[in-house]
Amino acid sequence: MKRLACFFLSCVMAATILTGCGNQSEKEGNTAENVESQAEKKEKVVVACWGNQMLDGYNQYLCDQFPEVEFEFVLAANSTDYYRFRKDHDDMPDILTVRRFAMKDAVLLKDYLYDLSNTELANTYYGSYLDSYTYNDGSVNWLPTCAEVDGIIINKTLFDEHDVPIPTDYESLIAACEAFEAVGIRSFVSDFSADYTCMEVLQGASIPVLQSIEGRKWRQKYESGATRELSEEVWLPVFENFFDFREKVGLGAEDASYPNGTPKEMFSEGTVAMFRGTGADVISFPGRGQDEVLLLPYFGQTERDNWYLTYPAFQIAASNKGMDDPAREKLILDIMTAMVNQQGQDHISYGKNMVPYKKDVTLELMPEMDNLKPYVEQNKLYIRLASNEMFRISKDVVQMILNDEVKTPKEALVAFNKELAGEEPGTEIVAHIDTGYSNDFTPEHGNQAASAIANTIRALSGVDLVFMQSCYVASDIYSGDYSRNDLAYLAKNDGGWPGLMELTGDQIYTLVEKTLSMTGNRGAVCNDSTLYVSSGFEMDITKNDGGYALNALTMDGRELDRSASYSFLIYGDRDWYMSKIMEEMGISKVDTTGPKAEEYLMQRIVEQGGQLEAPSDYIILR
Amino acid sequence: MQERKQTTKYFLPVAFAMILFVSIVSGVLFMQNTLMKLTIEERSNQLEEMVTQIQANLDSGLQIHWNLVTGLNHAVGGTHFENTQELCDGIARLEELFCTDMYGSRVMLLDEQGTAYLSDGTAGIWYDINNLLDEKKRHTFVSETDTIHGSFLVFSQELDSVITMGEDNVRFTHIVLLKDIQTVKQYYTTTTYGGSAATYIIKKNGTLAYFDADDDDVIGARNIYKALKEVEYVQGRSFDMIKEQLDKDGIVAANILLNRTEYYYCLTSLKDYDMTLMLLLPADCVAVSTMDMMNSTIRTQTIFISAMALLMLLAFFSLLKVQRSSQMVKLEQETNKELNRLRMEAETANAAKSTFLNNMSHDIRTPMNAIIGFTNIALKHSPSPEIRSCLDKISDSSEHLLALINDVLDISRIESGKIQYAPTPVDIAEVSDSVLTIMYGCLSNRDVTFQTELEEPQTRYVLTDAVRVREVLVNILGNAVKFTHDGGIVTYSVSYHPGKDDRHINVRYRISDTGIGMSEEFADHIFDEFSQEEHGARTQYKGTGLGMAITKRYVDLMGGTISVESKKGVGSIFTVDLPMEITDACEVEKKDYSVGNADLTGLKILLAEDNDLNAEIAIVQLEELGMQITRAADGEEAVRFFAENPQGTFDLILMDVMMPKMNGYEATKAIRCLQTRPDAVSIPIIAMTANAFAEDVQASLDAGMNGHLSKPIVMDEVVKTIVRNLDRLAAAGL
Repeated sequence: MKRLACFFLSCVMAATILTGCGNQSEKEGNTAENVESQAEKKEKVVVACWGNQMLDGYNQYLCDQFPEVEFEFVLAANSTDYYRFRKDHDDMPDILTVRRFAMKDAVLLKDYLYDLSNTELANTYYGSYLDSYTYNDGSVNWLPTCAEVDGIIINKTLFDEHDVPIPTDYESLIAACEAFEAVGIRSFVSDFSADYTCMEVLQGASIPVLQSIEGRKWRQKYESGATRELSEEVWLPVFENFFDFREKVGLGAEDASYPNGTPKEMFSEGTVAMFRGTGADVISFPGRGQDEVLLLPYFGQTERDNWYLTYPAFQIAASNKGMDDPAREKLILDIMTAMVNQQGQDHISYGKNMVPYKKDVTLELMPEMDNLKPYVEQNKLYIRLASNEMFRISKDVVQMILNDEVKTPKEALVAFNKELAGEEPGTEIVAHIDTGYSNDFTPEHGNQAASAIANTIRALSGVDLVFMQSCYVASDIYSGDYSRNDLAYLAKNDGGWPGLMELTGDQIYTLVEKTLSMTGNRGAVCNDSTLYVSSGFEMDITKNDGGYALNALTMDGRELDRSASYSFLIYGDRDWYMSKIMEEMGISKVDTTGPKAEEYLMQRIVEQGGQLEAPSDYIILR
Repeated sequence: MQERKQTTKYFLPVAFAMILFVSIVSGVLFMQNTLMKLTIEERSNQLEEMVTQIQANLDSGLQIHWNLVTGLNHAVGGTHFENTQELCDGIARLEELFCTDMYGSRVMLLDEQGTAYLSDGTAGIWYDINNLLDEKKRHTFVSETDTIHGSFLVFSQELDSVITMGEDNVRFTHIVLLKDIQTVKQYYTTTTYGGSAATYIIKKNGTLAYFDADDDDVIGARNIYKALKEVEYVQGRSFDMIKEQLDKDGIVAANILLNRTEYYYCLTSLKDYDMTLMLLLPADCVAVSTMDMMNSTIRTQTIFISAMALLMLLAFFSLLKVQRSSQMVKLEQETNKELNRLRMEAETANAAKSTFLNNMSHDIRTPMNAIIGFTNIALKHSPSPEIRSCLDKISDSSEHLLALINDVLDISRIESGKIQYAPTPVDIAEVSDSVLTIMYGCLSNRDVTFQTELEEPQTRYVLTDAVRVREVLVNILGNAVKFTHDGGIVTYSVSYHPGKDDRHINVRYRISDTGIGMSEEFADHIFDEFSQEEHGARTQYKGTGLGMAITKRYVDLMGGTISVESKKGVGSIFTVDLPMEITDACEVEKKDYSVGNADLTGLKILLAEDNDLNAEIAIVQLEELGMQITRAADGEEAVRFFAENPQGTFDLILMDVMMPKMNGYEATKAIRCLQTRPDAVSIPIIAMTANAFAEDVQASLDAGMNGHLSKPIVMDEVVKTIVRNLDRLAAAGL
């Protein structure tokens, strides 16, 4: 009887499927037409996102604010040089965002960007901030959003538990470090494998020097291009301070290799008392769960020498392409205004961990950042010197210091200046891509550029299936010559990590379904351009008012075997997307040590001298 | 070709008109442009002067503050303060000492990190610290930050000797005077423009540092230079040019359009302070009196130029008209030329016609002379009744033919203008009498009652052409008699009326009849040539249809009028009014028209006649009167006969004109020139020729002849002429 029932149900299902197939092509055609016609009506605006943080509600906010706009979001490499790459291909995005910013680097794009100096948008900024973004001719291309605050995050609970006084200056900081070391708790760690950490700690430890008149004078010269070397008067004390800090805190070669996640894990475990972090980290890593966490400044010799290090969460700019059309100009400026107005900044800062630059924005600081308030009032917020080379060379030199490769501050200074004087690496042509692919999403073919890269990663990694968010591919794949840097820009993002796991077909169904319905996460889908690309299997998805719903997964046209096991490589944010999805699915074993996407590209295109795999039609969007 | 001529003809005027128009427009535009430039220049100059004055005020004002800062620097430099409180108290004392309140200013000290200290404590890191980073020791700029609330003009001086504080020896490197921007206003604000001027303080990079005005910021931009670059310049200048001049001269003014309103702005560099001051105000407010004057000038000049333009247009049109007149004249000349040519052709044709008529006249009259002459001769030889009847008919027909010929010739001569009105003194009553004499002759064989109503004239003697008057009246009366049946009545009346003045009278002749009358339609055309009413009477009333036309021409010739009233079957009334000038009685030549009973027997006549028939007729008729005739066959022979025969051989010579070998004129001249013969001058020579026209008469007289008889000869006239000449000769005692 049971078999009969099963047979009957199978017949009904088969009939249904067949009927469905019969109607499917017609429906598919209609759906594709509808989707296309809807897209045709919408004005397309390409927004290059500095990081995957923008996927966490911010891009969704923009989509909600401008339903008449067809946004194409791409995760740009967080560098103004990425926009140079896009400019070289005459393919500037409409709206640019970048966190790593220096006027020194940005000036190279000046002729290609819209001058915001006389817009209402610029008028909403405090003059003193705006001045920092004003070129000698009075033009303004970039505007900051709100200030990310960087300092030393301490586990106050841990301090209290061990009766260690909260530091108030450098001396007390060192004392606290010694106290924790004495009880077997690492006092301070940081992810010195990250260039920004190296740069921020190096500068943060010497802000009073860098903010002195001499320090300011040197910086002004450097940023204007008047000098290409560190002033000994200013920078030798900086290295002396760092050497002193390294020595007293006990930083070494091990710290030099810590990836971004390690200090946070240690902090969350309670095995470390302090780490360098931002306001966002205060929210994300609250110690052992219930611990009280504080964001303290970088300490100087006296309390009056304490400073917080800040930098805009990101800067925004607009390409001047198409801005001679008043309607287009207005639309772009409206979108930019929405990006930095109160609502926009609420989506950037969670509404409580950042400092506004604008007169019309008020951001409340969360209690963990209470001690920031007097610093804000006193304007003791040091804005990091964040040129591209500063990131790169700071990492190199700090790692040399931690690895004891340079013995003295003077050697460090020399090493730094040597690199500053040298050519930027990775600029020589090393590869050629024969076939270009578009990064535009179409309901029939998906994102062909993303598909080509996903297929290449699958081919190189040897996994059965690859699943990644298509916006991690940051531009069209242009046919032609590439330098290493430019090749990396195709799919380079700090937040993009590989996650290798073994999943059953059923789990893959669940994973895809959960991914499509995910909100408030750095892996969330907000529109077609942020949909995921699959390699090794196809997705049948329906677009509805609420978002996207999975209909079926197929492999070469046949439904994915739910019971079969597959090696499955996810490419996305390790700490936000992957952790969330793994947690929801109860999966704990994920290997995130594999190469990142840009490394696969280097391997295939540069090292193997090969070409990208051909894209495939991986999606049916209804 | 004609089209090209036409195009060429209009090209010059059109081109001239266009050049004139373009010139006027260009002139007006040039003048307005020049005035506009002058106006702008004047306005700019005034504005620059004003701004220069403001700049001087500002410089002076700023210098006062710099003096103050210098004093502060000297007063506080090198001081050591124990702590922040002591430092703040020290600042307060400085402010008190230097009375900075008076200047609306505060004193601020900056430590090495840019931390600002005021008398009431620290204000944190000064946002504008980056403005002090160049090599200069002094800086002036506008500060508008949250560090210290308010807008200030900053006077920052690097301390000659650093101030220190506390045990850490915190170093203070700069002393700053913060002057409330509102108190600076007195140096740059001007009441000249009634508060319409907006002041902008602009940073070195062109961005706005401070704006001050009673009204809203019409530029509304942070980047002022960019905004000025994008606005429309009235005089086609560009901001790049303005900026270049600013950098060169330190001051520049320009006029622009903002929101469709003209504004003037003036930029002046405050070079020592890295700032630029800009004054912006509506054009209406700049140099108002100058503008009034300029506008007045422009108005006046516009009126003047308009008047000039109008005059020029009038001149142009006049010129055009003159040109057109000239063209018309040219056309007229061409037409006249053509007309002259036609006239000459006509004259040539007319001359040919006259020659033809003369020839015809001569050639017809010559045989007519023979026909009439021989008919008369035959009638005098008592022919049988049948032959007489035939001869009478020949005679009638000949006379009719002669009348026809005369009429045709007359109308031709009238048309060709050969008949001239030649008034001579006459007794006007005698003219009527002579007409009546003629008419009584015509009425001899008719049963028509002829009545006369002759008013006695107050003045009998007038100047008129009696021959033409008589001809007119005889023509009308002849018709009246002709078209009046027997038993009818013809009435001839003459009345005299006042003329246009005392010297003139108007003589009215009225001829009425009870004849057949005329239709109204025909009466309108009775004076047209060859007009004869079709009433089947043509055969009954023979005529050429030229009589009334000739009559009308003669009346017109004499300055008179002729009218007719007629009713068919009732009769007609012709009224002729002729103006005549009164003359004295002594001037009237008494003429004897009667032939009398002259005895010409024995008179010796030399007849020069080449035509044998004519010669025979003349000889027969002259000999019938007892005269002795010697015929010469041509002129030459006539001269020879006269010359070869002794004086007295001939009493008179009748000289044909058109003769072979020597014509009558030449022969006459030859005779008159015979000096050997005293009678050659006196002997009467009378032309007897078929050349019957007046000019022929004159030609005869001019040739030296004494009279003129036209063929066919009428013996009464021949006799009369002979008698008159013999009488003249006798009277002269020759």
